Amino acid sequence: MSILERISNLDRRIIFLTVAIAVIVPLFLPLRLPIEVTPPVQQLYDVIDSMPARSVVLISIDYDPSGAPELQPATLSIMRHCFAKDLRVLVLGLWAPGVPLGVSALEEVAVGEFGKEYGVDFVNFGYKPGGAVTLVNLGRDVHDVCRQDHNGTPVDSLSMMDDVRAANDIGLVISMSMGIPGSDQWIWYYHARYRGNLATAQTAIGAPKYYQYLQSGQLVGLIGGMKGAAEYERLVGRRGLATVGMDSQSISHLLIIGFVLLGNIIYWLEKRKK
Amino acid sequence: MRLQVPLAIILIMGLFTIVTSFIPARPIADLNQTFRNWYIGIITFFIFLGTINLVRVNGEKIKTKASDWQYSIILITALAVMLIAGFYKGRASTDEESVFMYLYFNVQFPLEATMYSLLAFFVTSASFRAFRARNKEALCLLLAAVVIMLGRVPVGTAIWKGFPEVTEWIMSYPNAAAKRGIRLGIDLGLISMALRMILGIERSYMQ
Repeated sequence: MSILERISNLDRRIIFLTVAIAVIVPLFLPLRLPIEVTPPVQQLYDVIDSMPARSVVLISIDYDPSGAPELQPATLSIMRHCFAKDLRVLVLGLWAPGVPLGVSALEEVAVGEFGKEYGVDFVNFGYKPGGAVTLVNLGRDVHDVCRQDHNGTPVDSLSMMDDVRAANDIGLVISMSMGIPGSDQWIWYYHARYRGNLATAQTAIGAPKYYQYLQSGQLVGLIGGMKGAAEYERLVGRRGLATVGMDSQSISHLLIIGFVLLGNIIYWLEKRKK
Repeated sequence: MRLQVPLAIILIMGLFTIVTSFIPARPIADLNQTFRNWYIGIITFFIFLGTINLVRVNGEKIKTKASDWQYSIILITALAVMLIAGFYKGRASTDEESVFMYLYFNVQFPLEATMYSLLAFFVTSASFRAFRARNKEALCLLLAAVVIMLGRVPVGTAIWKGFPEVTEWIMSYPNAAAKRGIRLGIDLGLISMALRMILGIERSYMQ
């Protein structure tokens, strides 16, 4: 067997091992490369930054633990920005398995870091089934869809909700999404009817689909994958897990490019030989 | 009757839903709202139905000792444990306060995140074996992929400051154009399929 054939038939366990090394080593030996902020992330930051104090931001947790490594850092950073600007935050989720992630994020940021008061500065409505239909109803009458919060407290007893009744009372909706129901439904069924500001945070694999909506103005911002989350962490001035993960992502991307180039060099050499 | 009744329901409800988009006034809007509430109720019931079905299918696998039946025991046990834990302080805020949150953050979270992360390993292996510049189009795709991969990480910016800008251009124009075209095609297909169902031409959903 020639060297070319040997490389071409490389045991995939060796490839897996190199990926593992590329991901793990930078976590212990960080490169701390500077993170450049891209326009879609900057746009979202600017929208939140320009909102008047006490405006309402609705964060929809439309992901589960599998997407959390990419999306949870973005959720935390957005919440930090909102509470630092004294905005009110409304949380709900179209994915049942994502509810504890929203609870945990509010506990960490709203209560732990900013000492915000539940029912006055933030409210969590937990899981809302029904996808698109729920969003249509939500824009029409928030109190009708969310009659109780995540803990079973009636919505009318939460002072924050006194002036939050319909879509036009919500300054910005951010769908943290990794699938269906998620950002698609927010764009097609909620934004198409009620307009207003809508943004999304996506896993890296889902982000390219949303550039068309960003370009058309249906989205006011887009956070794509862990890189987008790291950019937002830079903007809010707090290094989090996304920034830490950037070195691993840098090295693993270089590794994948290396393997693709190696595969193509072998392909061309074999083709020439034949 | 078994054929006519479902066809009549879908015809009436389909036409009604289209009409409500153009007449948002009472009493049609109120009736539409009632139907939407029914839909949410039905969808919620599906969660219960799905759970029952999951138990039934896996229970059958255990009973007949079908292949990999041992995994079904793990599935049903995990389902039962999370269900019981959820009823007891399932809405607590931290994993110190409830068994449910403890299991969620220390078992479910790492398991799901690990499964999703496996993608990186398979993508690398598949790219090495299959991503070949066999023609001009494939070469274009390969070059775009390399630029985007470098533009999406800080090391790319360290190599050349222009990578993020080129990446944003690719995403905002060629990518958005292609995605928009695909989206329009899908939506036209959806509209035609919806019309076929409303008019009773497409009946495969009844089988």
